[in-house]
Amino acid sequence: MSNGDTEGPPRYLKDREEYFSDEQRERTVSESRKMEKRVKDDLKAQKDRPAVMKYFDDIHTYGGIRVKELREFRSGGGKVVGTLCVMVPFELINAAGARGVGISSGYYEPVHPANELLGDAGLCPMVKATLGAKMVHSDPIAEELDLVVSPATCDGKLKLGEIYEDWAPVLMLNIPRVKTGDTTSKLWMGEITYLKRKLEELTGRRIKRKALLKEIGKWNEAQAAWGRLLEYRRRKTPPISGQDMLLIAQASQKDEITRWTKKAVELEKELEAMVRKGLHSGEVGAARIMLAGSPIIYPNFKIPSLVEESGGLIVSDELCSGHRIMSDPVMLDERSMSEMLMALAERYFFPCTCPCFSPNDDRIRRMKESIRIFGVEGVVYHTLRGCHLNNLEATKIEMKLREAEIPMIKLESEYDDGDVEQVRTRIEAFVEMIKTRRAFSGKKEGKRG
Amino acid sequence: MEGLTERFKGSIIRPWRLIFQILGVAFLFGQGFGIPPFGTSPLLRKLFLPNASCRYVDTVPTSCFYYQFQDGMTTGASTYYIDVIVILLIIVLMVLLLGRIWCSWLCPFGLVQEGLAYLREKMNIRPYRLKWAHRELLRPVKYVILFLTVLISLPIGLSGLGLLGCQSTLALPFCQVCPANGFFTISEQLLGLEPLGTALPILAIISLLLFLVSSFFVKMAFCRICPMGAFMAMFSRFSLMWLEKDVEKCTKCRICLRVCPVDHDRVFEDMESVDVSGSDCTLCGRCVEMCPEEGCLSLSFGPRRIVSSGKPGRLGFMGMFHGKEGK
Repeated sequence: MSNGDTEGPPRYLKDREEYFSDEQRERTVSESRKMEKRVKDDLKAQKDRPAVMKYFDDIHTYGGIRVKELREFRSGGGKVVGTLCVMVPFELINAAGARGVGISSGYYEPVHPANELLGDAGLCPMVKATLGAKMVHSDPIAEELDLVVSPATCDGKLKLGEIYEDWAPVLMLNIPRVKTGDTTSKLWMGEITYLKRKLEELTGRRIKRKALLKEIGKWNEAQAAWGRLLEYRRRKTPPISGQDMLLIAQASQKDEITRWTKKAVELEKELEAMVRKGLHSGEVGAARIMLAGSPIIYPNFKIPSLVEESGGLIVSDELCSGHRIMSDPVMLDERSMSEMLMALAERYFFPCTCPCFSPNDDRIRRMKESIRIFGVEGVVYHTLRGCHLNNLEATKIEMKLREAEIPMIKLESEYDDGDVEQVRTRIEAFVEMIKTRRAFSGKKEGKRG
Repeated sequence: MEGLTERFKGSIIRPWRLIFQILGVAFLFGQGFGIPPFGTSPLLRKLFLPNASCRYVDTVPTSCFYYQFQDGMTTGASTYYIDVIVILLIIVLMVLLLGRIWCSWLCPFGLVQEGLAYLREKMNIRPYRLKWAHRELLRPVKYVILFLTVLISLPIGLSGLGLLGCQSTLALPFCQVCPANGFFTISEQLLGLEPLGTALPILAIISLLLFLVSSFFVKMAFCRICPMGAFMAMFSRFSLMWLEKDVEKCTKCRICLRVCPVDHDRVFEDMESVDVSGSDCTLCGRCVEMCPEEGCLSLSFGPRRIVSSGKPGRLGFMGMFHGKEGK
């Protein structure tokens, strides 16, 4: 990085490097560390938690092993590429010999420095936290970046990428936001080809056909492992909580995918053993909840932990920080370079149901299908303050779900703990309502035994 | 190593289809290349499959219906075209029964074109994808060829029109430009099965070259203009064999459109119908085996799903892993 240099493009926040006092930096770091520890302790306190989860905990630990590994990797000349969106093909990054790592932040404290400097209090807190963490250098992983890839999905992400440029080189990808039409596929394919070229420039190494094929294989294997884990969530008493599943999904964007897959397979075995012993997560007869809406990134587990503390169990989610990371495989028809790139590009684009797209009927269709498969009884739709796209879609989705007789609660939240008790009351009422409904409609809880 | 096994990973239908195709070629053309005859029963010679087997190979057991169709139209005036009508009825019945499955599971043209595409893939050349406008332009061409065949074959057989003299030049109009004719005439002469230097069908040889070049770059190029396909396409939408789509399970991931060898975009775009086979789908099942959503796409016979799309990770052909790439 070239922080103090006068060279390079004009900087948005050029003279603000010294803007923050050391105390503020230290406070952000220590508060982040504290928050991460608190959330992790809560996770660890869950009843009947599989032992393999320790690995997934460790991957997310603030300043933990993953940071050390990345630092070592970089000191050996390796390049680390940060991603700000789930639409960036990790296969391509890995095939170039670089390491991909998701850097969107779920920490609360960095919101404050971003608030001070950006002057947009209504901005999405995830964007603010990601930027704030970089401003005060409070996220150890974000300090190890050689390139940041940022697809310009929503307004927040668009400017996030632009402003991030002040601290690390950023590669913006143009997302065609209207999904229909003849140019969509071509435009996105062009962006992916551009990403490939830029990654090759970064690592100084051509992306070979065989290497890409191998990476696609690794990720497809991970996807298959994820698919098998999902089967356990379909059970009447799932052996794993929704929070843990979020943690697992997000770990795939932090860790080496082969190690992740290995651990996911271990977890699968452990879950199988737990099922045989009759162990399960949450209480018997917990309300089966689907988590939808804005991204929920570790350690911002406020909403999911409240749901699972209030007698609910998250059996499914449609978050881009959860199921959507792993929901689709790359299916190769032919194995020439351009065909593989096309398969990759389409996998990361077309099945994606981000509300930044229009038309987005696929989202409600996918939600309904998940509701059916996982026997969901109610949807908790979470939006971050300032996430207009998710907010705007909420009403439409609520209407559609009402037709299907699935209750939905919409919760708007910030990155702070101020509203916890208020949200808890609403969630408890929602869960109670579901259980009462169950008694009235005579519906069996859950769909599968 | 990227051998055959590699290619079949992710395939639960294609290997079976390849077996059928190879058996088809062996049955339809084997004798032309010295494989011992299956039999010379006249019954066998009367068996018209809706596919290209070629009359220009002297000893093959059967021929494509299109040859009989043209021949019957020219020579059948005196018998009130009974022969042609019977053949066409048989073909219509076959299509109503199995749809255009004849195209993708039996037709030797299909096998050759897929072979060329395989060769292209090995050479790391990407397929040329026809633009929407070009596909729309091509769509009616096959019907035009079918119509022209009738337009030429029929009048030259009517003695009243005085066109009998044209018979030597214009009879069997499609066979004269059919790539198969060119291929078999040349290869039989080269193999010494026929004397060298017998009249060469120049037009057919040119179209053979066009066929080879176009289907090397464009997937299933010939299928898009095949008049036999055109005839079958008129009835295939009523067939018992069909492509079923469970719209609720569709994630609009576009895989079906990308892998479709004939660019049948209806599978991807249609979000209302259950039957998405339409007239252009040849029921090859590529989209079914590649679709990652369990039970979203199926090849169905009547109300019964014969094979459905499944999650990647399930076992495919002979225990190979479905959707597991590059290991």
